[in-house]
Amino acid sequence: MELSQLIQNLLNGLAIGSVYAIFALGYTLVFSILGIINFAHGAVFTLGAYFTYTLVVGQFENNGLLKGVNLFPDGSPLSGNPWAFALATLIGAAVAGLVAVLVERLAFRPMRSRGADPLLALVSSLGVALVIVNLIQLLVGAEIYNFPSDAYGEVRPALSFQIGERVVIIRTVQIIIFAVSLAMLAVLGYVIGRTKVGKALRAVAESPGTASLLGISVDRFILITFFLSGFLGGLAGTLVGTAFGVAGPYFGVTYGLKGLAVIVLGGLGSIPGAVVGGLVIGLAEAFVPADYSAYKDAVAFALLFVILLVRPQGLLGRTQIQKV
Amino acid sequence: MKRLTLTVSLALLTASQAQKVETPVPIGVAVAQTSNTALLGQEQVIGARFAERFINGRGGINGTPIKLVFQDAAGDENSAINAFQNLITKENVVGIVGPTLSQQAFAADPIAERARVPVLGPSNTAKGIPQIGEFVARVSAPVAVVAPNAIKQALKLDPKIKKVAVLYAQNDAFSTSETGTFQETAKAQGLNVATVQKFQTTDTDFTTQVTAVLNAGVDLVIISGLAADGGNLVKQLRQLGYKGSIIGGNGLNTSNIFPVCQRYCDGIIIAQAYSPAQPSAANQVFVKEYRAQYKKDPPQFAAQAYAGVQVMVEALKVIDRKKKLAQWDLGELRAALNKQILAGKYNTPLGELRFDKEGEIIQKDFYVAQIKMKDARTGSFVFLK
Repeated sequence: MELSQLIQNLLNGLAIGSVYAIFALGYTLVFSILGIINFAHGAVFTLGAYFTYTLVVGQFENNGLLKGVNLFPDGSPLSGNPWAFALATLIGAAVAGLVAVLVERLAFRPMRSRGADPLLALVSSLGVALVIVNLIQLLVGAEIYNFPSDAYGEVRPALSFQIGERVVIIRTVQIIIFAVSLAMLAVLGYVIGRTKVGKALRAVAESPGTASLLGISVDRFILITFFLSGFLGGLAGTLVGTAFGVAGPYFGVTYGLKGLAVIVLGGLGSIPGAVVGGLVIGLAEAFVPADYSAYKDAVAFALLFVILLVRPQGLLGRTQIQKV
Repeated sequence: MKRLTLTVSLALLTASQAQKVETPVPIGVAVAQTSNTALLGQEQVIGARFAERFINGRGGINGTPIKLVFQDAAGDENSAINAFQNLITKENVVGIVGPTLSQQAFAADPIAERARVPVLGPSNTAKGIPQIGEFVARVSAPVAVVAPNAIKQALKLDPKIKKVAVLYAQNDAFSTSETGTFQETAKAQGLNVATVQKFQTTDTDFTTQVTAVLNAGVDLVIISGLAADGGNLVKQLRQLGYKGSIIGGNGLNTSNIFPVCQRYCDGIIIAQAYSPAQPSAANQVFVKEYRAQYKKDPPQFAAQAYAGVQVMVEALKVIDRKKKLAQWDLGELRAALNKQILAGKYNTPLGELRFDKEGEIIQKDFYVAQIKMKDARTGSFVFLK
């Protein structure tokens, strides 16, 4: 492989891998606290993109209950420059976080309070996901929504540089995605590792019973976890929506599956594992030869399978020790 | 006990065979109302509802109203099969318009064939659909007929085109069928197919494919996919610096791609089986009503669904004039309807159409259009002569 091709693939893989990483972090946070997968995470990811779109464009097409609605006939105040768009993105992600909190109250807490099998909560979250997706379609139809190219200001669509005789090209939006993802990972790392909230979250994750005896409100911190998870999912949804368009109510489904692969590959419940897993899967996809690129999902899951054969606990997961 | 069971079974069988036709006359519409395919299916629902309103507003079938019975066929084969079974056994429809995708048709149409219920495919363009059985026909022209026109038109606009890249959605039966036609036509026109790239309809990131296209140094890119993936692919091609011509297949023939590729949609050449510019009276009424309600031109999928319902109703009118529909046994009417569909000639929004003995559409008019974007969100298909 030529150097230019290698660099091109690296850039492509890091851009998409970083999105997988922050999306999968949402899964991981919930898993580390409750020990179950929140299947509604993909739907929250989709919602994040729609919320931001509503704030930035606010114009809906011909199908769904909101058909013909135009919230900003003179243009949205949250569009047209990077700071306004960033604010819209953060608000969209925060509202997605609130939806995730609602999911916890509807799908997880009732099960937990009855001591139900975790599998029931998982199925319950799957049901909530389907309801959310269908509600989106009911409201805004199945059309593809897209952020206008000048929503975050006038930027060059792509950057290119010469390596030998070849040109390496990367879309500007991919660079933005990568930078935002890195920044979010750093902030989350700081919150989890260096703040009181983070310490309390880790305590709840380690042993909810002990944390409760120490005066930590377990239910409150589970809600905080869901909010953070939904915020990250919603943010990832907006980032993907910015790069590729909001491809209908079902566009979170693929990312939901990919996110599962990422957290299993990185190690269930491991935050650094989610980051590494995301980047590994992103890079693995990018290095699939162009002629076989339609099989990149298969390659990602095959890689997952091979790595699990060697390390069943995932790349950075810990082996469960059972005391007898 | 055995005898009783046998008697009850025979009675039920006789009852089902002697089932009379209900009024209003139920016609099934099994298209995608959910899933990723809903983007196309919701246009078909609109088209079919327009036809129902229009037909019933003008007296239905010689005074008997029709009733469209909708079943969600989603985007997968199982949902299409379930929808067909419900329409045939529970809803007692006289015929079915559907499903949305060709690959669903290959799975669901045999169900209707076995039950001897006529099916009109509103958007199944893959090779081999009418050959599924004698009760299967389609109002959607096959890609083999439509697609070559676009390449010829692209060469007319730019005779210097020599190298071509072909990209297609490999998980979609219609796209794989269409790309075969495109590749054969490109070779027949003396063009060099420099690279063939595959993707999935669910893909959003096309950097790998676009990089390969740019490295091949082609003058023309031909895309067979659906609106979301195809539009995204166009956008990423343009953003990464591709400046040559682009041809879009039938899946991109919808105004739904405007918000996807926005200003980058400008200039895409598309071969169409339907054009709002089609001058027939049937089309002009349809276009006028559609524009009044939706403030844009009707898309091909809506027009084809409208045509599907219209063809079924016009065939029913002929049968009704011979013997009132309410007097027919359902099974006999379905068989007669199938014969009559294939025998008739119809003036629809697609223009004049009829069928060959296999159920393949014989359509008079085809079009090639080029997308012209007015601004980031709105555009139109400009008819190329």
